[in-house]
This record gives sequence, C-alpha cells and structure tokens, in this order.
Amino acid sequence: MSIGDAFAALAHKGTAAQNRIIWNIRIPRVLAAIIAGAGLSISGLIMQTNLNNPMASPSTLGVSNAAVFGANLSIIAFSGGFLDTGHNVASYGVGANPFATSLMAFIFATLSILVILGLCRVRSFHPGVVVLAGIAIGAVWTAATTILQFYATDVGISAAVIWNFGDLGRATYQTDLIMAVTVLIGAIYFMIMSWRFNALLSGDISAKSMGVDVNNLRFISMLLASLITAVCVSFLGIIGFVGIICPHIVKKLLGQDHRYAVPASILSGSILLLLADTFSRGIGSGSALPVGAITSLLGAPFFIAVIFSKKGRMQ
Amino acid sequence: MIEIRDLQFRYRKHAPLVLQGINMDLKAGEIGVVLGKNGAGKSTLFKNILGAIKPSAGTIMFEGNDLLKLSNRERAKKIAYMPQSISFGELSVYDTILMGRIAHFGFNAGKEDHAAVENIMKDMHLEDFASRNVEELSGGERQKIAIARALAQDPKMLIFDEPTGNLDIANEQLIVEETRRVAREKNIAVLISLHDLNQAIDLCDRFFFMKEGRILAEGTEEIVTEEIINETYDAHVRIVEIEGKKLVINLGGK
Repeated sequence: MSIGDAFAALAHKGTAAQNRIIWNIRIPRVLAAIIAGAGLSISGLIMQTNLNNPMASPSTLGVSNAAVFGANLSIIAFSGGFLDTGHNVASYGVGANPFATSLMAFIFATLSILVILGLCRVRSFHPGVVVLAGIAIGAVWTAATTILQFYATDVGISAAVIWNFGDLGRATYQTDLIMAVTVLIGAIYFMIMSWRFNALLSGDISAKSMGVDVNNLRFISMLLASLITAVCVSFLGIIGFVGIICPHIVKKLLGQDHRYAVPASILSGSILLLLADTFSRGIGSGSALPVGAITSLLGAPFFIAVIFSKKGRMQ
Repeated sequence: MIEIRDLQFRYRKHAPLVLQGINMDLKAGEIGVVLGKNGAGKSTLFKNILGAIKPSAGTIMFEGNDLLKLSNRERAKKIAYMPQSISFGELSVYDTILMGRIAHFGFNAGKEDHAAVENIMKDMHLEDFASRNVEELSGGERQKIAIARALAQDPKMLIFDEPTGNLDIANEQLIVEETRRVAREKNIAVLISLHDLNQAIDLCDRFFFMKEGRILAEGTEEIVTEEIINETYDAHVRIVEIEGKKLVINLGGK
C-alpha cells in the first residue's frame, strides 16, 4: 500500500480492503506501540527509582517470567491460543478463546507480583530484598516453564515460543483500551507522586524525614508498575529493553527530576516502540520480525552513545 | 522541647538491646552532641527519633506531644535530618531545597513554598547556585544545601548525623558555623553526632556520652573530662587548656 493509499484509507476513501487494513490492523498496532512503549518505559523508571538500582526493569518482580509460564500453560496444556500473528501453526488452538492465553499470562503475572509484594510487606521493603525476591520467584517460573515445555508436543512448543516473541500484531482496539486505562492510571499516580520519587533519590531515611510514607509509596507504585507490565506482556508477549533503555536515556539527557522524567519516559517509550515496530515490518520482507529484538537492536547503540556522551557520561 | 525517656530498641524480638534505656532532654536553640564509638547506638537513636524504626519501649515527647504517634508528614514539620553521606539525585539546587517543602505542600509547591526557599537561599547566600546541578557541587557545598533543604522543612529541631565526617578543614568550619548560626538565630534545637571531640567542644552546649546503648554521662562542657572520654572510647586522651578553651589530645594506646 502506498502512502497515498494509506492516507486515503485513513479518511475511509480507500478500497474496502485498504480501509480494513488501516483501521482494523494498522491503527490498533500503532496504538499498541504507543501505549505499551509508554507503559513499559514508565514502569522501568519507577522500578529503578524505587529499587535504587539502574538494572531494575519493569519485570524485576518476575512479571515476564510468570506471564510466560501462564501463556505456556494455556498453549501447551490447554491448547488455548492467542496466536493470530501469521507465524503460528494455523490449526493449533482453533476454536480456543482468543483471550485465554492472555488471561492466563495476566493471572500468573499478577500472582507473582502479589507474592513478592506480600512477602516484602510482611518482612522488609528493603530494595535489595525486593530485587532478590524477584530473581528467586522469576527463576521458579522459568523452571516451571522449562518442565512444561519438556512435556510439550512439537506444535505446542513452537506455538509457545512464538508467543514469547513480542508481537504488536496481536493488538485489537479492545486490548489497546485495557492497556491504555492501566497505563493512564499508573501515569497519573506517578505524576502526582513525582516530588516523592525525587525525595526517594536521597535514600529511605531522608525521604521519611521529609514526610514521605516510603513503604506505601513503594508498595503502590511497584504494584502499578508491575500491573502495567503484566497487562502489556499478557497481550503482546515479551518486549524487552524498552523499560531499561528509555528511562536511562531520559535521565541522562534531562536529569532525574521525576516531574520531567515521567512524561519524558512516556514519550520516549512510545517513540522507541513505534520506530522499532515500523522497522521490524520494513525489514521483514512481508512478515514482521519480533519487535522485542528490534527495540534492542535500535536502542542499544543509541543508549551506548548517550552514556558515553559528554552530557550523559557515567560517573 | 524534646524529652526522651527510657528509650529501648532491639532489631529482632530476642536480639540484645541496642538502646538500653536512653534519657535525653534538649531545649530550643541548644546544640546537643552525641559522642561515642562506632556502634555505640548513635545512629539507631537518631533513626528512632526520625520514625525510621520503632522503639521497643520508652517515649519520645516533643513539645508535649507523643512523637511516636505523629504521621511522617507531621513529624517532618517538626524535625529535619541531614545524613552523613548525602545523595540528592541530579536536581538543581533550587529544586533540591524545594524538596524540603514536601511535608507542607503535598503534591505541588505553592507560592509560599517558593517564597520560603527564596528566603533560605538569600539567608545562606546560595542565590548564585540556584540552577546548578547539586551533584556537581563540592562536599561542603552539598552539605550546605542539605542544611538549606532541612531548613525548608521549617523544623523546630535538626538532627545531623556526622555532618563533617567527609569534609576538609575549611568545609568542616563552614558547616560548624552554619549549624551554630541556625541554632542561635532561628532558635532551633540541634542534635548532632560528631567524631571530632574538639569540634564538639567548640560547637555544642550539651554533651551526651554514649557507650553500648547507654548514656554514660550528660551535661554541659564541664562534664567533658579525660576520664569520661577514656571510658567512652576506651582511649587515652589528655585535655589541655589553651586560651581558656579545652583541647583534647589523643595520646594513643590505652
């Protein structure tokens, strides 16, 4: 489709097929890139601030590993699928509820979040404890997935592996709306609390001495950040690196003030994922490459350039 | 102003007491120093006052109110804190000081918050620093910004945990003078921990010698004797007087 055709279809003046491609396939996909990019990026920023750890990502609480297990369980054990990507084995999971896999992924991701945050609420909310608990629980989900895949059929395992590739082509208006509402709620909370996140940069005791309820802030913000990630991963699969790279680029270029870092992370996440998706469809000669791999391929060189640049030089 | 009675603290249920019945009084405008070896319980005492950890027993009254029953936000309007090693995040000096107003403004700074920050910056001659990145300042300057941020909380008491620990002599003197000025001019109580005994004698009004979670001795400068210092630090010091001022000399050994 030429650019002219695309604009004509946008105005509902293309052929019926062109209108359908633009409005039923392309627009939901573009919206998904904008929303999920924003959500993953903002979640990464909040995780890094909360855990005082530059390596923290939206999946630090084992969210992605848990979602992968849930999806694999649905695909392998229940033949349920959400595999309308064009890459899947066409007959696999025919007749299954298209939301079954996403729902299973979300249930397990949420379970993982609640287990870790629950444990931390009871024992300790020390950032180091949260990170280690996330690694441990993540390892449990990965092990469970491996065992599940060991018993899977060839078709099941290929469908499960394909699910793991992040794919914006799975998005529909319905999934975009669910993601948008989740990201919006998180973004509003993070913006309102931006001064408190700034205070957290001074350490827990200093933040408390300035009047910040550190435990509550950490609990609510990590819950929201993880839920955003859980929703995005459940609908789209794993899209790595956006949540690490974008917050770092923003912090290096604009500083750590969350009044600016939160909106800038939203913007940069959307732009990166949109560019990555456009690129993944452009070079895939007809079939889109996994967008998660493209985000890393596109983002990593830029990231390295930023951290070694004069403005952003790491101390 | 602050009255601490029989304060006890242990980290776990059956663990030994880190604070073993601390009693302490400090009035407005007074500078009190807590002296003791590393591990004597100074930082634990401060954390209890700041509400970062909860005492196992005892009371902390502040202007007649039970400090332990106040929310973080209410406590922050009364007591501000400056840790030994300070990290701020890469914010401007102005925004760093404005951060001290969080307890007052809630979610976004208002006119009175900006006015308070501008007054403090003028008072401390920090106007030229306003837009500088606070992480790019020297140790002494950062310490001064931390004092300014603490003052932005409009507190009645300041707690400084070894504020001169990482500073050179010139910056040490800068912080000592700033602390004295704040206490005297603003009538704010200051509770401080210091390792340099001569600095403590130079700056402070009340002395609390702490060992193994207890107060060994407390009072004005008169209680600063060779015996009490030697007992507190298991050290061997001599006190001489030069121009009417006490000077502690560490002779080494026991």
